[in-house]
Amino acid sequence: MSAATYERTFPRPRRSLVPAWALQWWTWLLVVALIVGPYIPLVYASLRDRPLYEAGGVFTLDPYRQLFGDSVFWHAWLNTLGFAALSTVLAVAGGAVVAILCSRADLAGRKLFSRLILLPILLPSLGMVLGWIVVWGPGGYLTSMFSDRLHAPTLAIDTIPGMALVEASRLLPIAFLTCQAALTRADSSLEDAARSAGARPLRVLGSVTIPMLRPAILNAATLIFTLSIAALGIPLLLGTSNNIVFVSSYLYNTWTSASAPDPGSVSAGAVMMLAAATALLLLRNRLLGAEARFVSVGGKSGRQALLRLRGWRWPLAAVLALYLVFTTLVPILGLALMSFVVVLTPLVAPWELLTSAHWNVLLDDPTFRSSIENSAVIAVVGAVATTAFVALATLVAHRSRFPLRKTLPFVMLYPRATPGIIIGIGFFWAYLLTGALGDFLRDSIWGIMVAFCVRNLPLAYIVMYPTLARIGEELDRAGRAAGAGWWRTCRTIVLPLLKPAIFASFILLFVEIINDYDPAVFLVRPGTEVMGATMLSQFIQGMVGPVSALAMVQVAITVVVLAIGAKVFRIGATGGEHGA
Amino acid sequence: MPEIRVEGLVKEFGDQRALDDVSFSVEDGELFTLLGPSGCGKSTTLMSIAGFQTPEQGRIAVGEETFFDAARRLAVPAEQRNLGIVFQSYAVWPHMTVFDNLAFPLRVRKLKRDAIRTRVREVLELVEMAQYERRYPHQLSGGQQQRVALARALVYSPAVLLLDEPFSNLDAKLRERARAWVKELQHRLGLTTIFVTHDQDEALSMSDRVAVMSAGEVQQIGAPEDVYRRPANRFVAEFVGRVNLIEGVAAADGGVVVVDVTGSQHRLTVRGADGASGNVTVAVRPEAVTVLPAEDASANGTNTWEADVGTVAFLGDHYEYEVTIGSLALTVQSSRRVEGERVRVHIPPDACTVVG
Repeated sequence: MSAATYERTFPRPRRSLVPAWALQWWTWLLVVALIVGPYIPLVYASLRDRPLYEAGGVFTLDPYRQLFGDSVFWHAWLNTLGFAALSTVLAVAGGAVVAILCSRADLAGRKLFSRLILLPILLPSLGMVLGWIVVWGPGGYLTSMFSDRLHAPTLAIDTIPGMALVEASRLLPIAFLTCQAALTRADSSLEDAARSAGARPLRVLGSVTIPMLRPAILNAATLIFTLSIAALGIPLLLGTSNNIVFVSSYLYNTWTSASAPDPGSVSAGAVMMLAAATALLLLRNRLLGAEARFVSVGGKSGRQALLRLRGWRWPLAAVLALYLVFTTLVPILGLALMSFVVVLTPLVAPWELLTSAHWNVLLDDPTFRSSIENSAVIAVVGAVATTAFVALATLVAHRSRFPLRKTLPFVMLYPRATPGIIIGIGFFWAYLLTGALGDFLRDSIWGIMVAFCVRNLPLAYIVMYPTLARIGEELDRAGRAAGAGWWRTCRTIVLPLLKPAIFASFILLFVEIINDYDPAVFLVRPGTEVMGATMLSQFIQGMVGPVSALAMVQVAITVVVLAIGAKVFRIGATGGEHGA
Repeated sequence: MPEIRVEGLVKEFGDQRALDDVSFSVEDGELFTLLGPSGCGKSTTLMSIAGFQTPEQGRIAVGEETFFDAARRLAVPAEQRNLGIVFQSYAVWPHMTVFDNLAFPLRVRKLKRDAIRTRVREVLELVEMAQYERRYPHQLSGGQQQRVALARALVYSPAVLLLDEPFSNLDAKLRERARAWVKELQHRLGLTTIFVTHDQDEALSMSDRVAVMSAGEVQQIGAPEDVYRRPANRFVAEFVGRVNLIEGVAAADGGVVVVDVTGSQHRLTVRGADGASGNVTVAVRPEAVTVLPAEDASANGTNTWEADVGTVAFLGDHYEYEVTIGSLALTVQSSRRVEGERVRVHIPPDACTVVG
């Protein structure tokens, strides 16, 4: 080809109809409105002398005064902090040990264990608490069996240490993932050097490996502590009988108290909790480099294990298996059994008490049936919408020259630090103050969906960002140079390459949204019930059987969806999200 | 094809000046190279021309069209500049076939299906990749991916071609072939090209003109021979090729300049350095110096001295001598092997350049 045939005039690419800056501004505004929006009416409500739905009202600090004057509130803080501290210690210690056993020792079945250990965080948290109660609670199946038949005491899970154990077993995967990621990333030649210098494996573990884990442990501890403070199901279901009140259950009870509901001081308490959670988030950001937050987990398989367990290989594996059986499998089996029998008791063989009544309730009772339907709709629509929206926001944050892009990662991670009930209260006030749109959202399931989506949106970002970071920026620059605008480049080049992460994010959000409950407890009304909120309220009213059946529905959906996700796209490997 | 004019670009990252008053212009059909070590601002300059960086000051124009003018707050978006770019990583889109990679810019330009098909075929043939049309990038070798990247940059017949270190990911053998091939193509199509590299061999062998950059500033612009033989300053002398630097005090003496070499009795005669005086540094390329046996009496006169041989290294096509003339140490390259611990060296006055 010569210069003459090469040179040809092509039409110049046309500018797109919607300019990129407009799209970017709208995305940013929507992110900020959805995430920061609900906190403004919350703070406002905490500074008024009467609820926002009543006319009039003046600014006042009374709600705070009232709250601070209530000794029950301070006692609740004490309980909450003690519980959170104990949960954190247990979860972090356990998670770190399992991580070391799975990635630095030749534990039997280590690959399988490093997958199974993730289950508790993915299974429905409220359902798991119910499972614990059915099996290990006062009068629970195994509790009675141990005390009546074997005369052996079990740990009372309706005490603070017991509740901490339940919470720790749920959050242990976070510590595991964070430590495992750190161990995978760590330069193993540091350990090899110590061995060459003559140190025995255990010495290496103590002098090199564990000190290397310190940042990961601190990071996991802060996150687990934040999440424990926000726990609602545990104090409501386990604490009530012994009158142990946490801040979250204090706020819940004050809000729902039929005799004297006090939205003002509930909002004030929520603001305090929010402040504590925000402080912890800021602390965590200081502990971590910006990038280190996002680690994808993938094991180095070929390497020889540092620690040879020899005779301990199988016994330790057995201990770990027993742990998983008693904290995860047994509660689920208990729930399953409970849903099929009239009463669950070791005194009568279960098959003599078989009934399908509880499952029939799910189909016949309008509350139960509509909860399942609503949750399914919310989870599908919410997961799709959130994934799409977060994908767009992530592109604006990391692949545009939008002036405020640097604010987006922090804003998008913020709901992770916020207790679910606070998001619920915030949206309650926000809907109340936004006229017709608010009324529509308040009266339909979409209001709950928005709250669930905002609550779980950080997960989508945490899943998508590392994949996006691995897509070279020259690929989209090449698209721009070829004449495509920002949005067209994103659509035809970046998003197709992001597909695995988008799918993983959808699966995770679906599971999290269908199992979520605490933002909804302040938003549900007849007709807009969702599974988690129904389980909570019906369990408190004593409907143990049907609630167990409902929990089984949640567990089944979760397991099936995760299995599909794992099969199609190996989500197990991206499970790193919870550690972030 | 048009001329490119870059005027007074300034770009700061924090308090770091990445570009400090960068100006040059590229002639129609010329292959112009930005050469310099990493962090010198060459890539920032290229990305400013492409529209991926926005400088704080300056002006960029291609032909009649102004792409960027800080004073007028004008910055044409990258996708409207109609430039062809080959990136260091090639940036061939991994989820598209070779055909789709090339078709993309044409689809953006709303060409008809048939026209796209014909043009993609044409350009693939130009880069000798026609038979790989249906392959995906991961099924191609590095060299083939590079051809696809180049074809994609050329398919819409852009006004200007920008090459960002396109050869640095190829192995040594392939790199040499790729250089010759790109140069030939550029010349045949008469493409106005800006080429960024840190490799001086690449710059010297391919360019019509070279701009040597350091610390955000253009140090020298000239034909490869000029830059090599007449470096404008110490940085250029040291960065482009190897060099002996001789310090001394200069004074005019008849038609030449004579330099009293610091710490030595020798006086170095330099030609073509009119007006140099005071403390100077003189640059001499190792291959410009001649080595002769010590007893060779024919070599006598200007800039010819006896020297002690330190080490001799055999490098295949030449020998490299480390010699000392009194306290003056020199590196000398020669295709001749001269035996003995003492030799005579001659530095031609023409081969000396005062660089500061």
